[in-house]
Amino acid sequence: MSDSPILELEKVSMSFDGKQVLRDVSLILHQNETCGITGPSGCGKSTLLRIVNDLLSPISGTVRFQEKDVKEWDPQELRRRVVMVPQEAKMFPGTVRANLVWGLRVHGMAADDEQLKTILQEVQLWPIDLDGNAENLSGGQKQRVAIARALLLKPKVLLLDEPTSALDTESALAVEKTINDLLSDYKMAVLIVTHNKEQAKRFTSKIVELENLTEAS
Amino acid sequence: MQLDLFALLQIPEQYIGMLQRYAAAMILLAILLMVTKWQGIGIGRKLIVGTIRGTIQIILMALILVYIFALSNLIVIFGVLTFMAVFAAYTTKSNLERIPGVMRATLPGILVGALSVMATTVALQIIDWQSSPGEFIIPMGGMLIGNCMGLTTLVIDRMWSNAQKQRPLLETALALGATPKQATELSIRESIRSGLLPNLNRYASLGIVSIPGLMSGMIIGGVNPLEAAIYQVIIFIMIFLSAMIASLITSHLFLREMFNERAQLTVPPPEL
Repeated sequence: MSDSPILELEKVSMSFDGKQVLRDVSLILHQNETCGITGPSGCGKSTLLRIVNDLLSPISGTVRFQEKDVKEWDPQELRRRVVMVPQEAKMFPGTVRANLVWGLRVHGMAADDEQLKTILQEVQLWPIDLDGNAENLSGGQKQRVAIARALLLKPKVLLLDEPTSALDTESALAVEKTINDLLSDYKMAVLIVTHNKEQAKRFTSKIVELENLTEAS
Repeated sequence: MQLDLFALLQIPEQYIGMLQRYAAAMILLAILLMVTKWQGIGIGRKLIVGTIRGTIQIILMALILVYIFALSNLIVIFGVLTFMAVFAAYTTKSNLERIPGVMRATLPGILVGALSVMATTVALQIIDWQSSPGEFIIPMGGMLIGNCMGLTTLVIDRMWSNAQKQRPLLETALALGATPKQATELSIRESIRSGLLPNLNRYASLGIVSIPGLMSGMIIGGVNPLEAAIYQVIIFIMIFLSAMIASLITSHLFLREMFNERAQLTVPPPEL
């Protein structure tokens, strides 16, 4: 494990319309580490991931990736390395193949069918018709395509928002195992939002529990 | 009784028939208003204001048209077109009042789209404008500006509503590192295509279903029908090109209103 953190959150706070949802959240994540974010619904778990992905800017505090403030990163370059898989796995219009390579394409990269097969095997989605319409996939299949799509970018930090909510236990365990196996291959860290404390305990090396600030106040 | 009223108001007899026809057309407007209200389309106020404003504008235009058509100085003519383009951009802003920054995006689009195509047509002498420059350039330019206005309005409306309705998909694209342009290219492409569709239909049915105003006007004005027909095809090509340029510029500029410098979506969720 490298000594310098790959991701660092320092006193990150966020509010919407005057209502505070995150207060002074701090977190350090090193390469090969997995961290679970848990807490009641509405406590800002997804908001925290969106802040790390720079889809939102916090009202105060700092997020550093590879020891550099995310504000200093080019947003596209940052998001190629710090990739988020949102809770709702949305498919772009087109085939499964087009969806898998979508992230690569926007960065001017490509993958051949062999690479796609490998990643799909890793997320337990092989065999599948690569030329089929992605919109026709089931919720669980879409979720795995979304994870595969993110992994193809070989991220340094993978942000997963309830990544196995549409999967059965067996598939969920398989996806967890895949991500754990890829940690060292990709030299990455994983930040995972889950309402499932069991999953957090089983899958992650550290857990951050958020409280619902709106209810508390 | 009615004639007495006209006499009382000292309205010349030649205008009485005209006013009666205008009043009769208001019956059609009333039916339109009832249908839109019944269907809850919510454009009744815009239709009423548009009718009043449009009537005043077109009467004023008709009165000064004779002077405008007599213009021969190209700089002045393009000055008139610039004024028309500014007004068109202002119209897009008023029709999309819920959306911020509309005019900042449509004005450059309409100006460059319509005026560059018109200037190229003049420079290459694609139309025979020398005999009466104002008579050719201003109505043709007006058609280009009108079509640019229509398409840019549609593109912005579609981009904004897609950003609201398809927010998760848009953020999925951004989360994978897409630029705002890459994330929205599909909705921009779709809106340009659907915005051009009515004109494509008119183009495909040219002369059979649609008998366009420019050609009819030229024939009525005594121009050789063959020449009028060729002009109509030319104007369609000019319309497509200018509307395309305008919509591309407008969509590119409008991305600045939808995303901030960190490529974060700033469009608020739809109001319930």
